[in-house]
Amino acid sequence: MNDGAAAPGATDAGEGSLESAGRGESEDRETDSVAKLSLHGITRRYGRETVLDQVSLDVPAGGTLVLFGPSGAGKTVLLRVVAGVVEADAGEVLIDGRDQHGIEPEKRGIGMAFQNFALFPHLSAFENIATPLHSRRGEGATRAERRDTRTESVERVARLLKIDHVLRQSPGALSNGQKQRTSLARALVAEPELLLLDDPLRNVDAKLRFEMRLELPRLLADQGTTVVYVTQDYKEAMALGDRIAVLVAGRVEQIGSPEDIYLRPATKRIATLFGDPPINLLDVDPECDADGPYVTLSGRRYPLDPALAVAVGRQCTLGVRPEALRFGDASEPGAIPVTVEAETPLNEKVVDLVTTVRGREILVSRPAHLSGPASGEAHLVVPMERALLFERASGERIRPRGGSPGSPDTDAGGAR
Amino acid sequence: MRRSPIERALRGVALTVVVVFFMFPILWIVLMSFQTNETILRMPPSLDFTPTLANYKALITGKLVSNAGTLDIAFMGNLWNSVLLSVSSVALALILGVPAAYAFARHKFRGSEDIAFTLLSFKFAPPLLVLLPLTLYFQKIGLANTYVGLIWVYQLICLPLILWIVRGYFEDISPDIEYAHRVSGHSWWSTFRKIAIPLARPGIAAAALLAFIFAWNNFVFALVLASADKQPVTVGALAFVTASGIQYGQIAAAIVLSIAPTLALALVAQRYLVEGLSLGAVKG
Amino acid sequence: MSQLEIEDVTKIYGAKRDAVAAVRSLDLRIERGDVVALLGSSGCGKTSTLRMIAGFESVTSGTIRVGGRDTGRLPPAGRNIAMAFEGYSLYPPMTVRENIGFALQSARVDAAEIRRRVDDMAAMLEIGNILERYPSSISGGQQQRASLARALIREAGMHLLDEPMGQLEPQLRALLRGRIKHYLKERGCTVILVTHDQTEANALADRIAVMEGGELQQYATPAELRDRPANLFTGTFIGEPPMNVIDAAPVLDGTRVRLVLGEGVSLDYPRDAFGEPVVRVLGEHPRVTLGVRPHAVRVAESGAPARVVVNQWLGDQSHVAAAFAGATLVAVEHDRVSFARGDTIRVAVAAEDLHLFDATSGKALAHGAEVVA
Repeated sequence: MNDGAAAPGATDAGEGSLESAGRGESEDRETDSVAKLSLHGITRRYGRETVLDQVSLDVPAGGTLVLFGPSGAGKTVLLRVVAGVVEADAGEVLIDGRDQHGIEPEKRGIGMAFQNFALFPHLSAFENIATPLHSRRGEGATRAERRDTRTESVERVARLLKIDHVLRQSPGALSNGQKQRTSLARALVAEPELLLLDDPLRNVDAKLRFEMRLELPRLLADQGTTVVYVTQDYKEAMALGDRIAVLVAGRVEQIGSPEDIYLRPATKRIATLFGDPPINLLDVDPECDADGPYVTLSGRRYPLDPALAVAVGRQCTLGVRPEALRFGDASEPGAIPVTVEAETPLNEKVVDLVTTVRGREILVSRPAHLSGPASGEAHLVVPMERALLFERASGERIRPRGGSPGSPDTDAGGAR
Repeated sequence: MRRSPIERALRGVALTVVVVFFMFPILWIVLMSFQTNETILRMPPSLDFTPTLANYKALITGKLVSNAGTLDIAFMGNLWNSVLLSVSSVALALILGVPAAYAFARHKFRGSEDIAFTLLSFKFAPPLLVLLPLTLYFQKIGLANTYVGLIWVYQLICLPLILWIVRGYFEDISPDIEYAHRVSGHSWWSTFRKIAIPLARPGIAAAALLAFIFAWNNFVFALVLASADKQPVTVGALAFVTASGIQYGQIAAAIVLSIAPTLALALVAQRYLVEGLSLGAVKG
Repeated sequence: MSQLEIEDVTKIYGAKRDAVAAVRSLDLRIERGDVVALLGSSGCGKTSTLRMIAGFESVTSGTIRVGGRDTGRLPPAGRNIAMAFEGYSLYPPMTVRENIGFALQSARVDAAEIRRRVDDMAAMLEIGNILERYPSSISGGQQQRASLARALIREAGMHLLDEPMGQLEPQLRALLRGRIKHYLKERGCTVILVTHDQTEANALADRIAVMEGGELQQYATPAELRDRPANLFTGTFIGEPPMNVIDAAPVLDGTRVRLVLGEGVSLDYPRDAFGEPVVRVLGEHPRVTLGVRPHAVRVAESGAPARVVVNQWLGDQSHVAAAFAGATLVAVEHDRVSFARGDTIRVAVAAEDLHLFDATSGKALAHGAEVVA
C-alpha cells in the first residue's frame, strides 16, 4: 500500500535500478518461497516481433504489483501468460513455487478481470458472476444446497461492489461502470489467491475511475489477495501499487515502490511517463571549475551536487519536474529570464508554458492558490536539489556516488 | 428526407416493375398448378378458369389418370428423398463444420488459411468436373445410388458454407470472453459448448439454412449419382416429361410443392439469412 | 456583430415515438477571436451542436447565424469553416504533407509558401518527421495531429474541432496544448471545440459551455466555472478530484452559523464570515447541499474530526480520502503527508470556499459570501 509515508530503508530484490531487474539467481531463489507469483525470463514472440523479452518479477503473497507501461508494451500478453491462456516461448511461471507449465488455465486458481469487461452477453449479471462457482465442488450435499451457497456468495460480492440491484439484468443493459464492477465481482467471487486485473478502469468515465481508484486498494487489501494490476495511467499505478514494474517494449525497465519510480527513475523515458505535466528535459553539458561541478542554464551557473561529478565532460540531460520549478525575483541568484506563453488554470494547480531566451520550452506548475505571472516577462528559479541528471544518449540516470545524507538517492539501506 | 410526390410515384412504378419481373414466373406456375393441361395450353392464355385440385391429388396419391392410362408417379417418394438428403447433409455438415470452424477461428496454425481456402474452393468447382470420376469411384466402392454416397457428396455443397460463415462468427467473439470462462475454471470443451456456440448461434442458424437451401436445390449430383428410388424432387420433376406428352399441370404442382418448404423456411428465418450473409462483419 | 449566434436551437432525431431531442433550446453567442469549448459527457448534445454549426446536420427549430448571415440551407462549403473531425479522416492516397497542405493548394497559394507553412505547423505539433509518410503507416496519435494540422493551417472564419486531442500520447498533451493555445491567440482564430476532457477545455478555451442532456448548463470562463458553478451538476462535473458533496442543515443562532452534517459533525462559522445576504438565504432553506473542492479542504490542528481511509501520493500531490460525517471527504495536499489508514485528522473549510446548492433542484444558492442572483 502506498501510504504516502516514505518507507524507511526498504530494500528488496529488484528495487529501483536497471541492473536488479535481472538480478542474481540466489536472491530470487530466496524470495521464491515467499513469493506468491514468480516469473523467470518470460519471452514471447509474434512473428518477428518480440513482445516479451526475458521478463522476470516476483509478487509477495498479499501484495499488489502494478504493471505499468505505454500501449504495446506487452502488459496484456504477460497477464495472459500468467493466466495460462497464452503460452510463453521461453521462461517459467511459478505460483506458490510450482511451475505452471502444462497446467491449464482452469486449474490455476486465478481470478481475472479484463479491460473490455468480457462479460458473457447471453447470461445475466448474476450468472456471469456465478460462473467461477460452477466449476468448484461447493459445500452442501444436495444441488439445492449448493445453489444456495452460490447465490449467497454472488450476492455478497455484489453488495460489496454495489451492484446488487442490477443482478438480474443482462450485460447489454448495464452502464460501463456497472459492467466493470460485474467483471470485478466475477473475478473476486471465488476468493482466488491470485488476482489479475487488466486495466479494468480504462473504459470507465472519469468520475467513476477516480472513485474506484480510492476504493479498490482498500477492497483488495481487505480480501488479502495477491494482485497483479495493469494500467497505462501513472496515477493509478502510484495509487494502487505496493510496487510498480515499468514495462517498455517487452522489457522490464525498472521495478520499485512508487517513490522509487517517481523520485529515482532509471531512465529519461520512465521519468517522462510518470508525472503530469511531464518532466522538463533540458540538454546540458556539465563542467567543473574551482568551486565544483556545475551546469549552465541560459548563461547562468547552477552548481551540481558533488556526488554527480562523474557526469562532468559527458553529454547530459537535466530533468526538472514542473512542480519543482518556481517563479522568482530577477535578483535571485540563478534566476532565468523567461516569457510566459500560455497559462492553463486547472483545478488544483496552474500550469504555465514558458520559453527561455534561446527558445527552450519549459512547463511550470504551481498550486492554484498561489499567484504567479499570467503572461509576459518573468524569472524562473531551478532548485538543483530536486533535479535529476541523465546521460543524453542512453537516457540512463546518473546516480550520485557516495551521496550526502538527504540527497534523493540514499536511503537508510545505504549503497546498492 | 423529403421527397417530391413525383419521385415517390416513380419509385413506386420502378419497384412494381421489378417485383413483377421477378415474381411473375412463380405466380404463373402457381396458377398453372391449379389448371388442367387443356386450360394451360389454351391460346391465348387467360386468367379465367375453374381451379382444380386434380394435379395435387394425382401427386399425392401417386396415380395420374390421363387419356393414355394410369401412370404411377413417385413424386411423394422424391419429396421424402429431398427431405432426407437435405436434412442429413446439413446435420453432418454441422457436426463436422462447426468444430472445424472453431479450430480455424481460434488456432491459427501454419497453413490454416490455405486449408480453409481450399475447402471453400470446392464450391467454385463446377460439379460436372467431378461427376464423371465420382461416378466411376462410387460404382467401384458400391456407393452409387445410396443415401450415404449422396450425403457424402452433398458435403461439397454444405461444408464450405458452414465453415466460412460460422468461422466468421467465431472470429467475432472477443477471445477475452473465452479466456474469462477458462480462467473461471472451465475446460475448453465446456467453453466451446457454453460460450462459443451460443454466441455464434445466429451464424450457425443462417449457415444451416443456406446449406439446406443449396442442398435441396441441387440437381446435377442427384441426377447422375442416384437412380429413380433415391432421386430428390429436383430430378423427379423430369419424370413429367413423358413420351406421351408433358404434363404441365403436374409439373407446376410438383414445383410448387418443391419450393414450398424452402420458401417457407426462408421467409420465417429471413432475419437470420441477411445476418448470416453479411458474415457478422459489422462490429457493434 | 458576433461571429456565431445560436438562437433557441433544438435538434430532434428520429420520428414520433422514437424521437430523441439531442439539443434543446440552445442559446449561445461566440465573438470573433474567442476559443470556446463545448464540454460534456457522451450523449450530451455537444457533437450534434457542432455538426449543426458546420452544416452537416439540419436544425429542427431555431436559427444559427454565422458572421451575421442566417445559415438556413447554406451547405458546409459556403460557411467558411475549417473542421478537424474526431475520426481523423485523412486522405489515404496522399502523404501527410500533401494532406496538411491540401486546402492551401486548392486556394492556389504559392508552393514555397505552402512548404514553409506546413513545416512550421508540423514542427509545432511534433510531426515533422512523418511528413512524407502515408496515413496508414502512422500511429493514431500522429494521425490525429496531422488532421489537426490540416484544419489549423487554413484561414477560415471559424475552426471547428471535434475531440481534437483524445488520442494524443499523454506526454505530449501538456506541451501541445500550450503551443496550440498560443498559435490560436496569435492569429485571433475563432474556435469551437468539442471535448469530454475538462483539462483540455481548461487549457484551450476562453469560455466553456457545459452541456448535459441536450441542455446548456453554464457558459462561462474556466475560472467562473470553478469558483461559481451554476448548479450541482456543473460543480461536480468540473474538477478532478470531483467536488465533495455533503448534505447540511443550517442552524442560525445569534452570531454563529452552524452547518449540521451527519453523525454529529458540524461546521461552525461566525455570521459575518458569510455576510447577511447569504445568512438570509440559509435561513430560507432547512436543508442545503454543500459543495467543497478537494483542494479547499484544509487539514489543520483543529477542526471537525475525520478518519483517514486512504492516502495516495501521486508525485506532485496527495489525495487523502477520509470518512467524514457519514460520507467520504477527499482532500488534495501539495506537500507529502504521512497519514495512515485509521488516523484521525481534523479538517476545516473556509467559508469562502463553500458552495451552497438547493437540496432539491441543485441550483446554486451562494458561493462563499456571494449570493447567486
